[in-house]
Amino acid sequence: MTSPAKGGPAEGAPDVLVSARGLEVHFPIRSGGALRRTTGVLRAVDGVDLDVHRGETLGLVGESGCGKSTLGNALLRLVPPTGGTVTFDGADVTRMRRRELRELRRRAGMVFQDPFASLDPRRTVAQTVAEPLEVHGLHPGRQARAARVRELLQLVGLDPAVAARYPHEFSGGQRQRVGIARALAGEPDFLVCDEAIASLDVSVQAQVLNLLRRLQRQLGLTLLFISHDLSAVRHVSDRIAVMYLGRVVEVGPAAAVAAGPQMPYTRALLSAVPLPHPELERSRQRIVLRGDVPSPSRVPSGCRFRTRCPDVFQPCPDVDPALQPVGSAPGHVAACHLHGVVGTPVERERPDAPVDAGDPAA
Amino acid sequence: MTQLPTPGATPAAPPPSEPLPTAAPPRPRWRETLGLLARNPTAAVSAVVLVLIVLMAVFDETLAPDGPNDQDPSRQLQPPSWSHPFGTDEFGRDILSRVVLGAATSLRVGFLSVAFALVVGTLIGLLAGYYGRWVDDTLMRLMDVLFAFPAVLLAIAIVAIRGAGPANAILAIGIVYVPIFARVTRASVLGVREEVYVRASRSVGASDWRLITRHVLPNAAPPIIVQTSISLAFAVLAEAALSFLGLGPRRPNPSWGLMLADGRGFIDQAWWYTVFPGLAIVVTVLCFNLLGDGLRDVLDPRQRTLMAGGGR
Amino acid sequence: MTAPVLEVEDLRVDLRTPRGTAHVVNGLSYTVGAGETVAVVGESGSGKSVSVLALLGLLPARTATVTGRALLDGEDLLTMSPERLRQVRGPGVGMVFQDPMTSLNPVLTVGRQLTEGLRAHGSLSKAAARARAVELLGEVGLPDPGRAVDRYPHELSGGMRQRVVIAIALSNSPSLLIADEATTALDVTVQAQILDLVEGLQTEHGTGVVWITHDLGVVAGIADRVLVMYGGRCVEDGTVDDVLERPVHPYTRGLLGALPDLATDDEADLATIPGTPPPPTDLPAGCVFWPRCPVRGDARCETEQPPLAVVAAGTGGLPHRAATWCAEGEAS
Ligand SMILES: Nc1ncnc2c1ncn2[C@@H]1O[C@H](COP(=O)(O)OP(=O)(O)OP(=O)(O)O)[C@@H](O)[C@H]1O
Ligand SMILES: Nc1ncnc2c1ncn2[C@@H]1O[C@H](COP(=O)(O)OP(=O)(O)OP(=O)(O)O)[C@@H](O)[C@H]1O
Ligand code: SF4
Ligand code: SF4
Ligand SMILES: [Mg+2]
Ligand SMILES: [Mg+2]
Repeated sequence: MTSPAKGGPAEGAPDVLVSARGLEVHFPIRSGGALRRTTGVLRAVDGVDLDVHRGETLGLVGESGCGKSTLGNALLRLVPPTGGTVTFDGADVTRMRRRELRELRRRAGMVFQDPFASLDPRRTVAQTVAEPLEVHGLHPGRQARAARVRELLQLVGLDPAVAARYPHEFSGGQRQRVGIARALAGEPDFLVCDEAIASLDVSVQAQVLNLLRRLQRQLGLTLLFISHDLSAVRHVSDRIAVMYLGRVVEVGPAAAVAAGPQMPYTRALLSAVPLPHPELERSRQRIVLRGDVPSPSRVPSGCRFRTRCPDVFQPCPDVDPALQPVGSAPGHVAACHLHGVVGTPVERERPDAPVDAGDPAA
Repeated sequence: MTQLPTPGATPAAPPPSEPLPTAAPPRPRWRETLGLLARNPTAAVSAVVLVLIVLMAVFDETLAPDGPNDQDPSRQLQPPSWSHPFGTDEFGRDILSRVVLGAATSLRVGFLSVAFALVVGTLIGLLAGYYGRWVDDTLMRLMDVLFAFPAVLLAIAIVAIRGAGPANAILAIGIVYVPIFARVTRASVLGVREEVYVRASRSVGASDWRLITRHVLPNAAPPIIVQTSISLAFAVLAEAALSFLGLGPRRPNPSWGLMLADGRGFIDQAWWYTVFPGLAIVVTVLCFNLLGDGLRDVLDPRQRTLMAGGGR
Repeated sequence: MTAPVLEVEDLRVDLRTPRGTAHVVNGLSYTVGAGETVAVVGESGSGKSVSVLALLGLLPARTATVTGRALLDGEDLLTMSPERLRQVRGPGVGMVFQDPMTSLNPVLTVGRQLTEGLRAHGSLSKAAARARAVELLGEVGLPDPGRAVDRYPHELSGGMRQRVVIAIALSNSPSLLIADEATTALDVTVQAQILDLVEGLQTEHGTGVVWITHDLGVVAGIADRVLVMYGGRCVEDGTVDDVLERPVHPYTRGLLGALPDLATDDEADLATIPGTPPPPTDLPAGCVFWPRCPVRGDARCETEQPPLAVVAAGTGGLPHRAATWCAEGEAS
């Protein structure tokens, strides 16, 4: 059951499968000690506008802790958003009822970041992979289910004979593949891959990347591919989105973003990619970002990258930049005043917008 | 339903055609579990002893040399001998017979009160821990109130309202233990609820019921199992204490607690009067604890083979 | 060459499983000099994690059989008493586990876990330990370390957790650092920062480093030597330049061939190595790579284990070795 193509998208207006508007996920911060009073708010995802087009792979990159996992979880309502909306195939995810939510869970899967934590230690691999089948009543019957589990394990390059084992008997990469098999079991239309290949060796990585691409071509699978590995992201993605401190700061066609990054943060990120060739690697020029990473509980005013930006200039602290068209490729947008000062001026009253991010915590 | 394609490059080995020998057995592997338990000597011995005690309680009438209340003034307070291995009490009743016959009462009180506390307490703890927020607040405040009462006072109150006797002793002890199970369960569930694998199951559409029964409860179980074995032990002791206070099972029918209570008055003349029922309690309590520890290990798949990829 | 910090000799690990004995590590030998970085790469499931867990006695004694020798500053880790091992962990060996959550206690704050290690091996006051903990968290690039110390592991992102584990491992300036996929959850900028930090530790304290990773870019950047594992054996080793630029073993070549490249966009599939690795319970009699090897150019491949033999003089004064019967066809 692939997604019903709604009469085909009009030329130029891409067919959007998943879309976030002003999405926010804020966590309360509690103080240390026994009382754990709420002392602030951590803006893990803070006003994200993002569209995932049907059938594409959208790569999502960004600094550790910038909210990529939280965003992926919020799109599937695995973490409740505190603001904004998410729509999946036209339906508002945040307001779904139980039945609709169940259907969403079948149509949208997730591969979790930590392969050691995402498998129930008390359930065998077969039980784990079969769970979506049982929940949604797919491939009914023990025989059919076991056969399907075997097929899925093979699909991700695991020996089907391992089905009866428990997760602790597997290496990190093997567990990650079990997680991928589980996510694919329900034949989803949309898959969030959160660092799905980080713990795999490159040859298995290549297998998984090839597999995802093949699924995409044959089933029209839509992928949100979260990864730190920019080479892999570049290779699998049609478009790339860059996140910084809870906000999407640049989106565009993969080739355009990789070859001509338009936002200083993206440029720094790309320059830090290590190369697998010792001589090239030694001569690589890295843009070193000065300053500490601000905490998502103390987001700098205006452009949130300004405390570390090598190009920071006068309007940056005062105007919160909006995404605007940049470069020559269509659909390439970035939030940076270097391309013209566009955005909302900062209200000076925001209590958690310190003038400088590096102030000592009490 | 489209079939997922099998990529040419990925699996080279042709799929084995024989039926998957490893198709997961759906439920706990009882035989394997028993086999592993057998390899844990202390737990195995405890299990055997407990089975013997239970069998003794079941076949008490056949096993006991005398009836429970066969009095014989000619043999009051006799020390252990061949004809009365555990000696006799102040009415000349055979203590061995009374220990055998008291087992049923003591165990019934222990098992049933703990079963009550286990079911009610675990349910409360599970709901509180899993759903959090106001469910948690309401239920746990209730438990705090219950817990704040001194246990004996609570038991006395219940017995005072409903009268003495085994059924009310069971209820009293059970209610006293409910908050303990609720707290242990809640604490454990709180940890498990945050685990990524629970979220992962939710992500494939598992219902709350399925999450609770298949993932949360099994992973939250170890401390509950340990608590159960500890409570069983304490419940047998509590039965003794209640009887001691005259609130439990009524004379003249024997229970270990009652015998302990009655024997106390003769402790300086007839040590056997208290020692043998006391020994029965100690052995039972010990076996429950050892078995509980063993079960906890055996039910953990990581203990079945070994742990890799981590060091704690 | 400097005196080795770690000398591993013929390490073998067998794990008892319900399906028979798994030969997970089969005769691994290597040395790590002071200030040197040895990168361990290889197939997922080839025994990289198990081999280092074995060094620290972290495999359960009931089912694991570990043989061989592993000298840390001349003292054999494998025959050490458990107490001595505990003393050695921390100031002697710092370890970053692949699984950040198992090495973090979910119910203790990050700060508690850091200060515990600091205070166990030093004589810091509580306040001083906390201050040092904040400092360490700052060094590994955690934003707002003053608040981060009071948070629980599940409140942190994957990369933040990993950095906490790194901070714990580095807290006692160990003479040997073992990092198992320590930077997989980190973005490239933070990763670069961590690598700099480790390099600083190496020049300052002469720390020897064993770095297990899948990221060949990282290997190219930090390693002095590379060890390629497959099926529990070392199949190739040598300097980074030799192994990454002139690979000899067919497995290493396949691995390097599978790399995606940042510079090119090809619609074509990435190259892979067809097949799956042999199960450790049932290793082939001859070369471990035989079932998947595209070369198989020798009669002995199937029946006889190739020894790890010198294939080229190698650069940097280190021989370039590989375990294959067909070392002739030089790198392409
Ligand atoms: N349950 C939670 N409670 C409090 N804070 C949280 C929680 N989950 C995430 N955070 C915070 O939200 C921020 C974003 O976390 P997230 O896991 O989304 O980052 P990420 O981009 O995926 O990073 P990484 O690449 O390291 O995985 C972090 O600062 C993290 O500490
Ligand atoms: N407890 C266990 N019982 C049985 N086999 C195990 C156990 N732990 C690990 N193994 C097996 O030992 C092999 C080596 O595992 P190890 O974790 O060392 O791999 P690795 O090289 O670190 O892989 P990765 O790169 O994926 O982390 C694997 O085939 C794994 O299945
Ligand atoms: S808006 Fe200013 S601070 Fe932000 S990235 Fe652009 S130049 Fe730098
Ligand atoms: S020994 Fe033979 S089978 Fe093994 S890697 Fe070399 S050529 Fe291939
Ligand atoms: Mg993440
Ligand atoms: Mg590993």
